[in-house]
Amino acid sequence: MTGERLRIERMSVRFGGVAAVRELSLSIAPGEIRGLIGPNGAGKTTVINAITGEVPMTQGRVLLDGDVVSGLPAHVVSRRGIGRTFQHVEPFGELSVLDNVLLGVGRHAPVPLFHAAFATPLARRGEASAVREALGLLERFDLVPYRDTPAAELPFGVLKRMDLARALAARPTILLMDEPTSGMSESEADRAVAAARALAESQNVTLLVIEHNMRVMMRLAHSVTVMQNGAVIAEGAPSVIQRDPAVIEAYLGEEAADAVR
Amino acid sequence: MNVSLILQLAIAGVSVGSIYALVALAIVLPFKASGVLNFGQGEIVTLGAYAALVLTQLGLPYPLLVAGVVVLGGIGGIVIERLLIRPIVKAPEFTLVIATFAIGLLIKGIISLRFGDSPNTIDGPFGSDPLVAWGLRFNPTSLWIFACTALVTVLVIAFFRHTRLGKAMRAVSIDADAARLMGIRVEKVYRWSWAMSTAIGALAGLLVAPLIGINPEIGQLILRGLLGAVLGGFTSIPGAIVGGLTVGLIETYSGVLVGSTFKNLVPFLLLMTLLVFRPQGLFGLAEIKRV
Amino acid sequence: MRAEASRATLLSLIGVAALAAGGAFLGSYAVYLASLAMINVISAVGLNLLTGNSGQISLCHSSFMAIGAYASTLLTVNFGVPFWLAIPLGGAVAVAIGALLGAPASRLQGIYLALATLGFLQIVQIVIEELASVTGGVRGLIVPKPAFAGARVSEYGRYLIVLGACALAVWSARNLMRSRVGRELDAVRLSRPAAQALGVAVGRVKLTAFALSAAYAGVAGGLLAIVVGFIDPVEFGVSAALRQITFIVVGGMGSVAGSVVGAAVLSALPEALRPVKEYSDLIYTLILLGFLIFLPRGLVTLWHAGARRSRARTFAAAGEGTP
Repeated sequence: MTGERLRIERMSVRFGGVAAVRELSLSIAPGEIRGLIGPNGAGKTTVINAITGEVPMTQGRVLLDGDVVSGLPAHVVSRRGIGRTFQHVEPFGELSVLDNVLLGVGRHAPVPLFHAAFATPLARRGEASAVREALGLLERFDLVPYRDTPAAELPFGVLKRMDLARALAARPTILLMDEPTSGMSESEADRAVAAARALAESQNVTLLVIEHNMRVMMRLAHSVTVMQNGAVIAEGAPSVIQRDPAVIEAYLGEEAADAVR
Repeated sequence: MNVSLILQLAIAGVSVGSIYALVALAIVLPFKASGVLNFGQGEIVTLGAYAALVLTQLGLPYPLLVAGVVVLGGIGGIVIERLLIRPIVKAPEFTLVIATFAIGLLIKGIISLRFGDSPNTIDGPFGSDPLVAWGLRFNPTSLWIFACTALVTVLVIAFFRHTRLGKAMRAVSIDADAARLMGIRVEKVYRWSWAMSTAIGALAGLLVAPLIGINPEIGQLILRGLLGAVLGGFTSIPGAIVGGLTVGLIETYSGVLVGSTFKNLVPFLLLMTLLVFRPQGLFGLAEIKRV
Repeated sequence: MRAEASRATLLSLIGVAALAAGGAFLGSYAVYLASLAMINVISAVGLNLLTGNSGQISLCHSSFMAIGAYASTLLTVNFGVPFWLAIPLGGAVAVAIGALLGAPASRLQGIYLALATLGFLQIVQIVIEELASVTGGVRGLIVPKPAFAGARVSEYGRYLIVLGACALAVWSARNLMRSRVGRELDAVRLSRPAAQALGVAVGRVKLTAFALSAAYAGVAGGLLAIVVGFIDPVEFGVSAALRQITFIVVGGMGSVAGSVVGAAVLSALPEALRPVKEYSDLIYTLILLGFLIFLPRGLVTLWHAGARRSRARTFAAAGEGTP
């Protein structure tokens, strides 16, 4: 049990009569970058939603550094150190980029209501330090030119960067990323990959990344878990996975099906 | 408390519950079709009562009176839907709630201006001498109300089952986009669901007028109607009827059990409890949007 | 930006001082109207935090004003508590009840929340009417004239009290909206999943919004009682609730400035409409409908029509250098 950052034991998720995830188990070591791939509808996003507590598990457990986090309310799971980014970003559209990132930052230094309402020195100091930290993140992610722009007005690629900055602001020990390079050009995706890898290494953040872009996955992940129809069909190093017949079948099947449509 | 009293109260409860049932039905119809909850429905009922007053003063015989009120109510609904609802049907829920509320207040304001606040009344079609049978007294107006409610219920259910427009309405209430793709004119469905709703609401006003008089405050009925709709599970037609009847019964019995001081509280406490613990009411679907 | 923030503060202080001084020269009726307008501002500010920022429909805001009014007045009448203590205590009672309502209500959305708040409004109305021996029922309650250090507080004195409370209310709301508290209010409205993923306790934030709005409403109610000298329960019914909502729709939802503008402009309306008094309720409703259809984001959007940037809302950022 030691040395495991995230451990999922026989997770099952059912929606009505449909099993989106079946008895899925996996384990991720601290500092590891794990890829999660599979054809559409395999249940990858559901796995993330179940880990974060947004969606209830029908059965199974999730442990973070040995502590059970399954069954906890979503915001508590987040406070325990599990962060996530969203496939469609889920921006706070009316708020500026700075405000979006600030919402990630202030998490570990909440301001009591009374102090906030009367702008006491305590509140001001807390706010100033939060802003400093947020601005630092904006710089890291090339978002400074957009700091006052409402998120709803941003191009998708910029939003993805904001989503990442926001999630990292909350200082997670493990970050679940849902299709981080979707909507990005090849060069943007390359830059994002390099940044993610550097980040994981420098800050010892463990990553679980859902990706559709195979090239990105191969370059980024230490190991890969492959899902199909809610279950794991293969797991291992990227180079091995690429040649696994079951994996090829799963993807080819999808492509063949697409070709027929 | 003896049996005959219990039965007598049941009669009173069912007769007032019939009005609530009609109001609940009027609320559920456009909600099912277009997702809009008409918080101004109470004022439609008021409108119906005043329309009945005006038409009575013109000397119309009762059958024409009913037809007139129903038609006027329906036209009113079409006008409201076209002018006020259509521009905001895609707006956030807040806007729809407040707008329908405001429409109701608008109607009430216009009625107050035109007719003043002093109460009026019209006679029921069968006089007010009670009929006596099986040792129980029946108010003929109440019987008439119940009969009309039963008739409306049957007609509405038949409408949804057997007419093309009714089936189209059901399709739209399940999935408006899919219905549109199937060639159904969704706007027409909305218009007619509103027309039906206001026609039924106006009818309720006509029916209730001999019982409680005609004044601008009739609209308060909507609260009982809403409770009936919630009880019945918001999207169920038979549920709305049963819900309304149940509210009538609860109101009548609690008057005796709890005493007049706080008897008015019972429906609202019931509403709050329902909303918190069982918003789908007795017959609704289990997946209500809870946060 | 620092210079701009200081200039805004200076302007606000001058404005308050001007209002304070100006009141000394206005006639009695004008002072009375101005007091009512500022009380509306306090109430609107509270409602906007709940509905505009945290996105929760409330049809019972006027009920919290009623609770504040009755609580503070009854404390004075029955226990001799002076007004300057009774009004905050009345606000505290409103907060407690607001939290009590908020606990279940914050788990509801949309029409179910609207229904719950409507039900609560009715419950409060009924309780007020039925407990007539305590509250005076439908005949209302006479409010003793406020006294301080033995002397009766004059009308101008009451005006200054209301002005001070209004300034405090607006200032505190502005501070809240520029802090994490305010950002969390908006966040739970804009994207619940993202808020949760960032550790925001959505349920607790929504409940806090209810309690906060009740605080502002409760104090406004207590002030209303001493300004008018009489509590009429009709003033806290459905029409009043809708009027409160009109303030924030017309002014601008989610914006403190919007609350101020909406409440101030619409409070002046009944006066302007005096010649056509019977129609004033109708006109109010038409204004509400008009804004809902044509300018749902309120008058403040006219200000921002040109500037598309939304400056980050943080009072610390006021001290940062511009990028």
